[in-house]
Amino acid sequence: MTFADPLWLLALVLLPLAVLVQRWARRRKSTYVVRFPSARTLQEALATASAGRWRRQLPIAALLAALAAMIAGLAHPQVDQRVPIRGASLVLVLDHSGSMASNDVNPTRLVAAEKAANTFIDQLPSSARVGVVAFSTVPDVTQQPVTDHATAREAIDSQQAGGGTDTGPALQLALKMLDATKRDHPPAAIVLLSDGAANLGVDPVTVAAEAKRYGIPIYTVALGTPGGTISAGGPFGEQVAVPPDPQLMDAIARTSGGRAFDAQTADRLSSIYQTLGERLSTTAHKRDITVYAVLLAALLMTLALVSSVRTGARLP
Amino acid sequence: MPAPPIVLRPPDARQGPGPMPGALIEAIDPAVNRLVARTLPGGRRATGVGFGTELAQLRPYEPGDDVRHIDAAGSARTGTLHVRVHVPERALTTWLVLDISPSMAFGSSRRLKADVAEGAALVFARLGLRRAGSVGVVAFGGPEGPRVLPPRGSKPGMIALRKLLAQGVVPDGQGASAALGTALSRALRLATRPGLVVVISDFRDQHDWVRRLGALHLRHALIAIEISDPLESELPALGRLAVVDPESGDLVEVNSSNRLLRERFAALERERRAEVAAELRRLGVRHVQLSTDQDWLLELGRRI
Repeated sequence: MTFADPLWLLALVLLPLAVLVQRWARRRKSTYVVRFPSARTLQEALATASAGRWRRQLPIAALLAALAAMIAGLAHPQVDQRVPIRGASLVLVLDHSGSMASNDVNPTRLVAAEKAANTFIDQLPSSARVGVVAFSTVPDVTQQPVTDHATAREAIDSQQAGGGTDTGPALQLALKMLDATKRDHPPAAIVLLSDGAANLGVDPVTVAAEAKRYGIPIYTVALGTPGGTISAGGPFGEQVAVPPDPQLMDAIARTSGGRAFDAQTADRLSSIYQTLGERLSTTAHKRDITVYAVLLAALLMTLALVSSVRTGARLP
Repeated sequence: MPAPPIVLRPPDARQGPGPMPGALIEAIDPAVNRLVARTLPGGRRATGVGFGTELAQLRPYEPGDDVRHIDAAGSARTGTLHVRVHVPERALTTWLVLDISPSMAFGSSRRLKADVAEGAALVFARLGLRRAGSVGVVAFGGPEGPRVLPPRGSKPGMIALRKLLAQGVVPDGQGASAALGTALSRALRLATRPGLVVVISDFRDQHDWVRRLGALHLRHALIAIEISDPLESELPALGRLAVVDPESGDLVEVNSSNRLLRERFAALERERRAEVAAELRRLGVRHVQLSTDQDWLLELGRRI
């Protein structure tokens, strides 16, 4: 719990002051006393049957607590809450280049990526809008960010591996889809799901710098293991090495303010998406609970009132 | 913060003991005589020569002397008739051990405890001054120890007692502790001849009085008059109260609406009074309980 105006808490100093004033008032009041020869016996009885002692202190204690609650209310107490970002947009940028056919991740990099992307979408709150950009040599499939997650899922599932890797333009397209140039665009993030070096078009790091300027982080997931190969398709079934390029992915993430993950296996990929899912879809939100503090103060005051009527009556 | 010292004036609510019909006091006389008869040999006579057990002198026989008192040996030796003359029986000395502590200035119904004590003291003084008796007073409860009025007969005794009673009780907060015990030991020293000791107190002072009362009882006839007020033994439900002990000035704040507390208080007070009664019964002392809410003289006559 935090306080918006913690300076008000200084007023808590008043509480001991109030106690002192009360003591003083009680002391003054004790000039009115009843002579009672059995006072000693009464004191004995008081020592043994002291059930009513706490009740005597109840009104003043409740009143002080009410005062404390009120001062706390003045300081505007706030609690941290994780709330879904209303209108948060996510664009999954999915690489379906030829290298994604490599089966160093079970069953293939592409299938693992699709599966994980679906898991990720599952974890998103329904208010989040999900868009898809699938790319190989050019960004070919695009799905505008919508709250209907099924369309995004369809777009992801229909991908076939093949072609080059043109990361830069795909990211540019994703930024455009997120209305990045508008000043008050809704909170957004890009999840780049790729394996290898960008071998065509604009340098993706430049795009990442642009995304940073617009406040859109790019989370990158480098797929595949260094030993990944694909079949070149020739008559001899030659194998072509397709190692991932984690350095590039790292640079993209760092430049844009996101985070780079490298998923060596499909399992890890899924778990990465799980943490990603939470990070992207909710945000810490401070909620003002002044109303509750005031309510508590009112309750305590009522308690003080009632209990003082019950016990405070005293012969002058 | 230390509480400010509380000094209170005893309430100006003195009613006096109320009417004391002579006939009622007369009626008490035989009972007191019966009590005293144990401690004094024979009937009590006035001062001067008379009949007794102790020889005062031998003197020549004069016509009219009782022939039974002719001393044979003396007559034989001197050749003339001689009679024995005795020291008369001592007149009764009544010691009033009177409580004038601040706690006596309390009363919730007809009169103060001090008024009842005053009445009882006057009754026993009047009875004690009859037949050439004398009355001494040990008034205790004041800050400088017991005040003693030496035994005096007839009018001087009564005047001295009335003067003492007119001064009322000690102001609040000046009570002495263990005053009853001190007063009893003082009475034990002063009352040399067997007589009657009347202790008039509320017996609230629990400190070491039983043994001394027992010592007094060895030689004297004893009457213990316990004076109480109904409010002392039962706390009414009045909400929160600040009460002060008149003797010590101790302040106690209580919530008298607490049923548990009231019951506990009543139980403790009952216990205390039962303890006093048990001790007096054990000593064989005549115990009379007077309350401020009844006709104390009637009650005294009934109980004694």
